[in-house]
Amino acid sequence: MSLLRGPAAGEQPMAGWLEGEQMYGDRQLVIRHTIPTNGLSLAGIIDIHNADHVADALASQLDGSGDLHLELSRVEFADVSGIRALVSAAEDACGRRRLVLHGLPPLLHKVMTVVGWADLPGLELCSCGSAL
Amino acid sequence: MNEPITEAHYRHEALLYRGLADFVRQTAPFIRGGLEAGEPVLVVTGVPGIAALHAELGGDAERVRFADMAEVGANPARIIPFWQEFIDSEGAAGRPLRGIGEPICAGRGAAEMVECQRHESLLNVAIDPTTPMWLLCPYDTTGLDSAVIEEARRSHPFVTEGTHRRDSRSFRGVDASGAPFAVPLPEPPSRGQTLAFGSGDLGAVRDMVAGRAAEAGLNASRVQDLVVAAHEIAANSVRHGGGRGVLRAWRDNGSLICEFSDPGRFDDPLVDRTRPPPDAAGSRGLWLANQLCDLVQIRTLSSGTVVRVHMRLPS
Repeated sequence: MSLLRGPAAGEQPMAGWLEGEQMYGDRQLVIRHTIPTNGLSLAGIIDIHNADHVADALASQLDGSGDLHLELSRVEFADVSGIRALVSAAEDACGRRRLVLHGLPPLLHKVMTVVGWADLPGLELCSCGSAL
Repeated sequence: MNEPITEAHYRHEALLYRGLADFVRQTAPFIRGGLEAGEPVLVVTGVPGIAALHAELGGDAERVRFADMAEVGANPARIIPFWQEFIDSEGAAGRPLRGIGEPICAGRGAAEMVECQRHESLLNVAIDPTTPMWLLCPYDTTGLDSAVIEEARRSHPFVTEGTHRRDSRSFRGVDASGAPFAVPLPEPPSRGQTLAFGSGDLGAVRDMVAGRAAEAGLNASRVQDLVVAAHEIAANSVRHGGGRGVLRAWRDNGSLICEFSDPGRFDDPLVDRTRPPPDAAGSRGLWLANQLCDLVQIRTLSSGTVVRVHMRLPS
């Protein structure tokens, strides 16, 4: 639904991001590795149906070194459990790596602020290419 | 009025007054008493009351924190978290506090009024009884129905009228104040649109709410707010409310109302007005709904739980 889409609602990720191999997919979400940035792109819907899978996917990428970058501009909708999956990955990585969120749709940012997750240590919101 | 000191525990007291001049006459000594004792004082009332208190208190007003109830309490479920923040920030190490909170005024609509009354009852359970805070809740008897004043006597353990400060004989008690809210909601004026939803239908819930909200004239940001709240409440039904629920949506009295019914029940009467700690798992849906929407009504009935979310429409 177009009302709830992020800033880069088309088929392509934000400028500067290249997508590689798909690492996770279900009926409502696709997660791909990105090149050259050390990260993942997420496109679709993150909610109670796949939040646990998203958390697992992020956890599997957090044993490397350096920050983990997430390209979120094509997240159409994320509910609290979905955002929780991102936040808990940041908490788990805290002290070792940061989770950097790129292209965060304004609605997700608003929900994160209201529930008190917008300024956690280990989580960085990058305003690149988004309407923040 | 003879001003006693703030006691070493929480005191929730209704103040029945007659018009603005009487409001000032009764609340200014209470505020001054707090200031003289070095107590932080927070006053949450309407703009006319704030202006009149400023005029009466003069320079002392600088030491009082004022907040406009029209902002803080636009959704009355946001008032308890506001008091909680005052207690957390100013009441460290058991420092005595004073507050004035006037959520109930003649301008409130019927649904808002009921929720304000529920809020007043919940203030008996939300604040720890060992908190040394004296909270005065003014009621203007010249503008409010007698039924509203009677309810104030039931929702407050203490009532002050004129110079008489006494226990309220009709106080319903702390336990009953926090009991599930079972007063049924009024039936909608029209049948509206209905959607029975299960686990796979959250997208259909979002689409229906977004469609109704846009059609009703809410702007894009308010449509999103309502969609987020609707999704979280429906997700609660899916996860904790027996796996299914029914959504109805209709317009009434200048608002769009979305209602969610499911067979489950909430055990915590403060579930929608306790700020979630950042690291807790647990549910945040109703907290979020109260921050994003104009009014959230929760009822625990024999059939299960009903949650109504209201959004005022642009006039």
